[in-house]
Amino acid sequence: MRGPRSKAVVLWAITWLNLVCLGLPTVIVLAASFTAGDIVTFPPEGFSLRWYERLLTRTDFLDAFLRSLWVAVICTALAVPVGTLAAIAMVRYRIRFLAGIQLYLLLPFTIPLIVSGLGLMLIFGEVRVLGSLWPVGVAACVINLPFMIWAVSASVNALDPDLELAAASCGAPPLQTFLTVTLPAVLPGVISGALLMFILAFNEFIVSLLLVDARIVTLPVTIYNSIRSVITPDLAAVSVVYIVVAVVAIWLLDRLVSLDVFLKSK
Amino acid sequence: MSVRERGHAVPVRWRLLDAVERVAAAVWPPAVRGLTGWLLLLPALLLVGLLAVGLLWVAEYSLHELDPATYMLREDYSLANYGTVFGQRVYIDIVLRSAAAAAIVTAVTLILAFPYAYVMVRTARPWVRKALLVSLFLPFFIGQVVRAYGWLILLGKQGLINQALAALGLEPMNLLFNYNAVLLGLVQYMLPFAVLMLAPALTAIPEEVEQASESLGATWVQTFLHVVIPMAKPGLVGAAVVVFTLTITDFAMPEILGGGTIDFIANAIYDGFFQIANAGLGSALAVVLVAIGTTLVGLIFAGLGAGTLSFVSRRG
Repeated sequence: MRGPRSKAVVLWAITWLNLVCLGLPTVIVLAASFTAGDIVTFPPEGFSLRWYERLLTRTDFLDAFLRSLWVAVICTALAVPVGTLAAIAMVRYRIRFLAGIQLYLLLPFTIPLIVSGLGLMLIFGEVRVLGSLWPVGVAACVINLPFMIWAVSASVNALDPDLELAAASCGAPPLQTFLTVTLPAVLPGVISGALLMFILAFNEFIVSLLLVDARIVTLPVTIYNSIRSVITPDLAAVSVVYIVVAVVAIWLLDRLVSLDVFLKSK
Repeated sequence: MSVRERGHAVPVRWRLLDAVERVAAAVWPPAVRGLTGWLLLLPALLLVGLLAVGLLWVAEYSLHELDPATYMLREDYSLANYGTVFGQRVYIDIVLRSAAAAAIVTAVTLILAFPYAYVMVRTARPWVRKALLVSLFLPFFIGQVVRAYGWLILLGKQGLINQALAALGLEPMNLLFNYNAVLLGLVQYMLPFAVLMLAPALTAIPEEVEQASESLGATWVQTFLHVVIPMAKPGLVGAAVVVFTLTITDFAMPEILGGGTIDFIANAIYDGFFQIANAGLGSALAVVLVAIGTTLVGLIFAGLGAGTLSFVSRRG
C-alpha cells in the first residue's frame, strides 16, 4: 500500500478493529475450553483438558457431530455435480432466458432462510420423510447452491473456449472433450465450491432447526439447545471442534486452490 | 515401435471412453444436442424448484385464518392474517426493528469492511494478505451459533467483561440481551461476507488510477472519496444487498444475543409456527418478509444490474 503515513495509520486502525471483532469470539471460546473451573471465569482458573475428556463421555454431542458430518457429506455429494453442470451450462451453452434463469437460481439467496426452511419442512412433511437425516442434507444443498455455482462459474469463465474447440478439432468427441479438457480446467472451482458447501452444511443452523426432531438433532442445534439451558465449559470444548474443522478447511482451501482466488476480480 | 506393430495394444482407457461415447451418442443423439445446456441445468432447476414450491405453499398457508375453536387453519381463504400483521403494533414494531437493524448493520459493516478489503488487496506483503484472509475465513467457517456463544461468554452477566469490572470494583453492566448486543453479533457475522464481496471490486481498480489522482494534487482522502469508492460501486452495491438481506432475515443472533426480547421478523415467524401454533399468521409474516427482500433486491438489480452477484461474466 502506497501513500502518506496518515493513510496507513487510519486504514490499519480500522483493520485492527476488524481483526479484534472477527477474532474475539473464537479466542474466547478457545480459552474457555481449557479452563479448570466449573464455570467460565476471568481470569481463567488454570489450565486443564477435563472438558475435552468429558466431551468423550457426552454421547449426545458425539452423535450430533456425526450427524452433522453426514449432512455435510450428503450436501456436498449433491451440490458438486448439480452446481458444476449448472455453471458450465450457463457459461458455455447458449441458454435462452439466461437472465431469468440466473434470477431463479438466486432464489436460495432471495428467499429468507427461515422461509426456505418452513417451505421445505412443509414439502418434506407432506412426502413423509421428515425425521430422517438426508432431507437436511438436501436442504443444506438447496439453500447454499449459489455458492457452488459461483465457485465453478468463476473457473469456467476463466477457461479459454478455444481449448475445447482445439480438442474437438483434434477429433475428440463431445464427452471426451468434456472429461479431459473442460472438467480438469474447472476443477479448482469445483474444489473450492465443494469445501464451501461442506462447511456451510456442517454449520447450518436455522434450516436444521426446522427439519430435525429430538432424535436427529445436528450439532449446531445441540449447541443452541445447550446454550438455552446452562453454559458450561464443555460447550466451549464442542465449539472448538468447529474451530478445528474451520482451520482444516482453510488449510485445504489454501493448499488446493489458494485463498487469493477470492481477491480476483471477475 | 508404432501402435500398429503392437497390435491390439490400444489402452483400455481409450476403449472405455469410446464405449461411453457411443452410449452417450445413443442416449443423447446429435439431433437434441441443442438442448444439452438445458439438460445440464435441469438438476439445479429442480432442486431450486423445491424452494419455489415451498414458498408457494407458505403463501397458501398465509391465506387461511386460525380457527381458535379447533386450533386448525380454516378452509376458506381470507386476508385476516395480513390484517393482523399490519394492524397490530407488535408486528409493525418487529418489522421496523428488523429493517432499522439491517440499515445500521449494513452501514457499520461497509464502513468497517471497506478499509479491511482495501488493505488486503493493496498490501505489498503476501503474508499480511494471507493473514487477513485467514482472519476472515476462520469466523466465516465457524458458524453463527458458536460465534454467538463466544459473545455470550464475553458479555454475559457472569461474563468475562463483567467479572473484570467486578475485579476492578466497578458495577456490572447489562451488556447482553439488548439491541446493541444483537447489532454487534450481526456486524461480526456480516464482515466476512462484505469483505469478500468488496475485495474483487477493489482488485479491479488499477493502482495507477489512484497514483494519477494523487499526482494531480488530491489527498488520499479525496482520492478515496472521488476515485476509489465510486469505482468500487459494484462491489459496494453487492455487499450492501447481501448484508442487508441477510440481516433483516436473521434468526440466530436476535434469538441468542437478544434473549427473546429483541425479536426480528424471522423470530416472529418461528414463534408464529411453533409458539402460538398459528401457521397462518407465521406464513403471512413470511410472505411480508419475502416481499420486502424481493422488492429491495429487485429495485437494486433493475437500477444497477446483478453486478457481482451474476454467475456469468461478460462474454468475450
